[in-house]
Amino acid sequence: MADSDEEYVGEISGDDLNGHHVLSQGGAAQPPRSRRKKNRGGAEWEVSRTWESLVEGADGTINSTVEGLLEAGKRKRLLRDTTPLQRGIIRHLMLVLDLSQSMAEKDLRPTRYLLSLRYAQEFVREFFEQNPISQLGVLGLRDGLAIRISDMSGNLTEHIGAIQALRDHDPKGLPSLQNGLEMARGALFHTPTHGTREVLVIFGSLLSSDPGDIHQTIATLVNEKIRVGIVGLAAQVAICRELCTRTNHGDDSTYGVALNEQHFRELVMGVTTPPATFSQRPSASSLLMMGFPSRSVEAHPSLCSCHSDASCGGYSCSRCSSKVCGLPAECPSCGLTLILSTHLARSYHHLFPLMNWVEVPWQCASRSPACFACGINFPSVPSKDQWHVADIQSKGMSISSRYECTVCRNHFCIDCDLFAHEVVHNCPGCQSRTTFSGTSGLVQGADVTDKMDTSI
Amino acid sequence: MNTIDATEHYSSSAHDRPPSLLTVILDTNPHAWAQLSQPSATALPLSTAVANILVFLNAHLACNYANEVAVVASHTQEARWLYPVANPPTKKPTDSDGDTPMQQQRTTTNRPPPANEMNKYRPFRIVEEQITQNLHDLLATTTPKDLEATNSTLMAGALTLALSHINRRTIAWAEAHGGETDPNAATAGGGAGSTTGGGGGSAEVTRSTTDSGLQSRILILSVSSATGSAHQYIPIMNAIFACQRLHIPIDVCKLSGDAVFLQQAADATKGVYMALAEPKGLLQYLMMAFLPDQRSRRHLILPTRVDVDFRAACFCHRRVVDIGFVCSICLSIFCEPLEKGECLTCGSTLEMGDYGAKPAVVARKKKKKKVRAGANAPSATPTPTPTPGP
Amino acid sequence: MAAAPSSRPFEYLEGLPGTVFFKLYQQPSTALAIFRRMLPDLAKCFVMALLYLKDPLPAADLEVWVKSESLKERDNALSILGRLHILSNTVIANNVRAYMVTNPFAASLRHALTGAEQIQSFGVVADAPAISIANLDEYARRQWEGVLGYMVGTSGLGIQRDVNLSKGVKQLLQAGHLVEIRSSRVDITKDGFAFVLQDVSTQVWHILILYVESAEAIGMDSVEVLSFVFLLSSLELGQAYEKRHLTSNQLRTLSDLADFGIVYQESPEAAHFYPTRLATTLTSDSSALSNPISGALSGNPTGEPSPTSSSSPNNDSNKAGTGFIIIETNYRLYAYTSSPLQISLIALFTTLKYRFPNLITGKITRQSIRRAVEMGITADQIISYLSTHAHPQMRKHNTSRSTSNQAGIPPSILPPTVVDQIRLWQLERDRVQATAGFLFKDFVSLAEYEAPCRYAEEIGVLVWKSDRKRMFFVTRHEQVAAFLRSRK
Repeated sequence: MADSDEEYVGEISGDDLNGHHVLSQGGAAQPPRSRRKKNRGGAEWEVSRTWESLVEGADGTINSTVEGLLEAGKRKRLLRDTTPLQRGIIRHLMLVLDLSQSMAEKDLRPTRYLLSLRYAQEFVREFFEQNPISQLGVLGLRDGLAIRISDMSGNLTEHIGAIQALRDHDPKGLPSLQNGLEMARGALFHTPTHGTREVLVIFGSLLSSDPGDIHQTIATLVNEKIRVGIVGLAAQVAICRELCTRTNHGDDSTYGVALNEQHFRELVMGVTTPPATFSQRPSASSLLMMGFPSRSVEAHPSLCSCHSDASCGGYSCSRCSSKVCGLPAECPSCGLTLILSTHLARSYHHLFPLMNWVEVPWQCASRSPACFACGINFPSVPSKDQWHVADIQSKGMSISSRYECTVCRNHFCIDCDLFAHEVVHNCPGCQSRTTFSGTSGLVQGADVTDKMDTSI
Repeated sequence: MNTIDATEHYSSSAHDRPPSLLTVILDTNPHAWAQLSQPSATALPLSTAVANILVFLNAHLACNYANEVAVVASHTQEARWLYPVANPPTKKPTDSDGDTPMQQQRTTTNRPPPANEMNKYRPFRIVEEQITQNLHDLLATTTPKDLEATNSTLMAGALTLALSHINRRTIAWAEAHGGETDPNAATAGGGAGSTTGGGGGSAEVTRSTTDSGLQSRILILSVSSATGSAHQYIPIMNAIFACQRLHIPIDVCKLSGDAVFLQQAADATKGVYMALAEPKGLLQYLMMAFLPDQRSRRHLILPTRVDVDFRAACFCHRRVVDIGFVCSICLSIFCEPLEKGECLTCGSTLEMGDYGAKPAVVARKKKKKKVRAGANAPSATPTPTPTPGP
Repeated sequence: MAAAPSSRPFEYLEGLPGTVFFKLYQQPSTALAIFRRMLPDLAKCFVMALLYLKDPLPAADLEVWVKSESLKERDNALSILGRLHILSNTVIANNVRAYMVTNPFAASLRHALTGAEQIQSFGVVADAPAISIANLDEYARRQWEGVLGYMVGTSGLGIQRDVNLSKGVKQLLQAGHLVEIRSSRVDITKDGFAFVLQDVSTQVWHILILYVESAEAIGMDSVEVLSFVFLLSSLELGQAYEKRHLTSNQLRTLSDLADFGIVYQESPEAAHFYPTRLATTLTSDSSALSNPISGALSGNPTGEPSPTSSSSPNNDSNKAGTGFIIIETNYRLYAYTSSPLQISLIALFTTLKYRFPNLITGKITRQSIRRAVEMGITADQIISYLSTHAHPQMRKHNTSRSTSNQAGIPPSILPPTVVDQIRLWQLERDRVQATAGFLFKDFVSLAEYEAPCRYAEEIGVLVWKSDRKRMFFVTRHEQVAAFLRSRK
């Protein structure tokens, strides 16, 4: 078993080099392999020799190494680029689902179809969580047609309900990528220029039965600045790659082929982060007028102007005082965009990410006995001669288990590091401004405040 | 007879009601307290309030053997832990078998207690001693110079500290209780979410914690006004969203002042918001409205605020606006169309839409400029300050 | 239901007359312990909300406070509070019904929360060297296991008895009908089987209640003993306490409890004592059972090189080393234990196959369950034993799976097939279940029948009803009777 796997690796890598030479490196490395993987029934063959990296500790157990590996794993995910890119916060995205017969395959559990519907629902939820002032629509590809599942709107439950309803149907027929793209293009046609126009396709097939020339469609998409991302479930398809590359200014990283369920999820969820804007494109940014209505409660139910439902509570438009029942929305009578300021605030952490914290060498470790935020004890500093021993762990992991915020210079544990960067997006140290020297004067304190705000 | 019944499969003693962790954020802004304790009919000096809070904390501890409390002071200069304090070296890394309050503070317990507090339940006394001691230290180290510098309070820091602690305790609890949540699995889920900017992971933690994990909630006793915390707008909002994700309700007990953000916090996290008309009755308010934990709240009708002030503060003049202008790049809010059409926060040139709202400003057709030189247009180094300057 | 407090001590307390409660509630520690241990969540909220109110709260106000869909929980909470004499109904001006917390309880609970002058309700700390928690746990474990071992008769399995049980302990077990002595052989009874399969905290309560019941017989005041038990529960682990302030009865109780491992004293004459974890976790929910004691009890008592029993307790609690049983859906059972006690317990309802130094395997079969049922063990006892001692891996696996599938149903630790099958096997034999209670019948009209019937259902005492015959059967009649009276 193990032997055959080894051979297999060798064969593949040669194949890769020859076959995909033209493609840009890096992004191309994974998808071709995954094709092979699918052929083998989804077995997890890509075995890294994990056992070899295990080293017995002094006490004869591997606990320390295992913990180290866990920590390194946590840390690796954190180290992403924190350059504050300009991002398209106001997005318009069409989600295109493949509903053709190839989705009935069971290589992803329970089936590709059910799994992608589930992830699509999670995607929609997360999309609105991350991009509260954006809009979304859903299409399906079935029987060579593109079918409308839900219209472009900011209403989360509508989309989720529509996707949920698909569960009762079976995947059927062949997909037509071109029809889907054309319909998505039509839906995105009227969207304002200050937002992004995106299409995300979840594509399980290896073919597309199109009525016309898809390359022309691609050209139109490029023209209309619609960006396409595709998550493939089977294998890499040349036309998909071309589609992604051309609509994303030569960057094909928006095309990914899922290796397994987990990777599939990661690929789909990756799209919820607002895309970076390209500077090559002339920016169509504008100042938008928005209303921030307050919620009101009335003694007697009245009809809302958006759905004509009777309800007691609602938000009244700040300009024309018509009542809408949910936010964000566009005032049906005067057209003002109505949002909550919290919706805007939700996106700030994309724009101003918290800077990565740096590893702390033993030299500086003695300053802190415990994590600043949660108070967990750090391992105590060993004697000097051991400082450089056991430096086996991967990059990014701190040898002293401490991580330091470069602004407030406090030390944190890995869990707080993770928590601060992934959930809170605040630095506990900077925010609580316990100055590190302890006796810093007023001037320095104020200084720290300024810095603190920038690091968010 | 009908013992074979789906509902009964699952009733076993193995999952008892999980304990809950109450984190109190005490706003110790001396300016506000000074006002509040001015002799009048509604005066409430800090000492009385602290005494009330201590009874409240004890009541929470009394509700369940494994309940925990934590107290953070949100002061003018810093946010600081009042309980538990990490500094005593005896604190164990994770003494997580449920009786944390008892084991944690061996330092204070070893000396014989003062005679007048002889018969207090020990966990209560330990909490009390630490809090009063630390609060005293905190106030003693506050110099008049510090007070002149600012009159706001570091609510964002206190919230972030509280959240970090909750996170730590949740992990520890899950570890100790045999995989209600496998922390690794949870964070592995976080791996999935990490590409999305921290989505999925926390959601997974949440799902398992809401049912069987440690139940956490935050209570803010606020006395400062909103204006002071405007410069922390974004950090506070970030903390609120984190709470929302983790299903941690933020309860707000407002003794004085007026805090728009806290209203939004309570609203977004489904917490209780109460502005006390009678600060003297603090204890009764606490006992009645803020003591029930999430499980009991399912059965109770709690005072929530129905009309929430959702207006935003503009970044340029910090006016509270109900119609504003928003930069489509960085989402900064301005109260009036910008003079030069250039965003004050990110510096990008903005095209004014054809808004007839302000007749004074004619929608100018501006030549679109390139956003900025350089690839990928980082609007600046990581320093654009999104916050409205004071 | 979820609101039901641990039944055994609750039932005992409930049976006590009101005057006993009055005496019991004089002690803040007792008030606190009862508040914490016996009340459902909602009742706690009520008590706390009313505690610092000067005037009684009108019943209508209290009722408005609860959501309309939670009426059942509310009535259940109020009913329990009434039965424990904590909440009383009064009538204030304008003939409005109102609730208030009864006085000795309210005063004591307030004292517990704020502290008061009165001395020694929460024990007096002695200035004695603290004993390490590990040692205390070890002592408690040894004593408690000795008691259990005596009952199950593990001596047959050939281990040396290192614990000498005092005569009092044996008498108590006998008096509680947990064991019977037949021709100088110790035979465990049906109740005894039920007892040994419970989790530790329930067992301790059971023993304590037995002790309190028997206290009268040997001339001690049961109230005094009971409040001393509650006092013990509020002490701190690892801390020495003065004996000086105790009465002679309490001292006697103390030395008896030391035999069970509930408290530790260096010698009967020592001037101070140490509560063990068995005592200090009395008022916790059984979730505190993931403590080293039950862990060690179920794990590896003989000092095998396992992480559970040999290392320090803090270490243990981090590792959640409590469970050791794995059951598969094919009814195979693997138990990582070398404790003769646990092995003999498992053998009660399992057909054992292999025994390794730290592992036994076996299978749950129809025969083995039948055998157990014949001995008087119920399916529920087996299931609760298995789920209490389930291996952490099982908990992890099954909870994660069931939460991902359907969030509505609380996760089950054991495979549902096994649980069902054990119940079915029991049903083959056990077809009748007796419930003691009261039958209400001969209602004149349907309306007259329906109202009390619904009320009985709401307060959770209804067992059976027949609309056609206009009869219903309840476990407790006082409140229903009062309800009927109030309607006349």
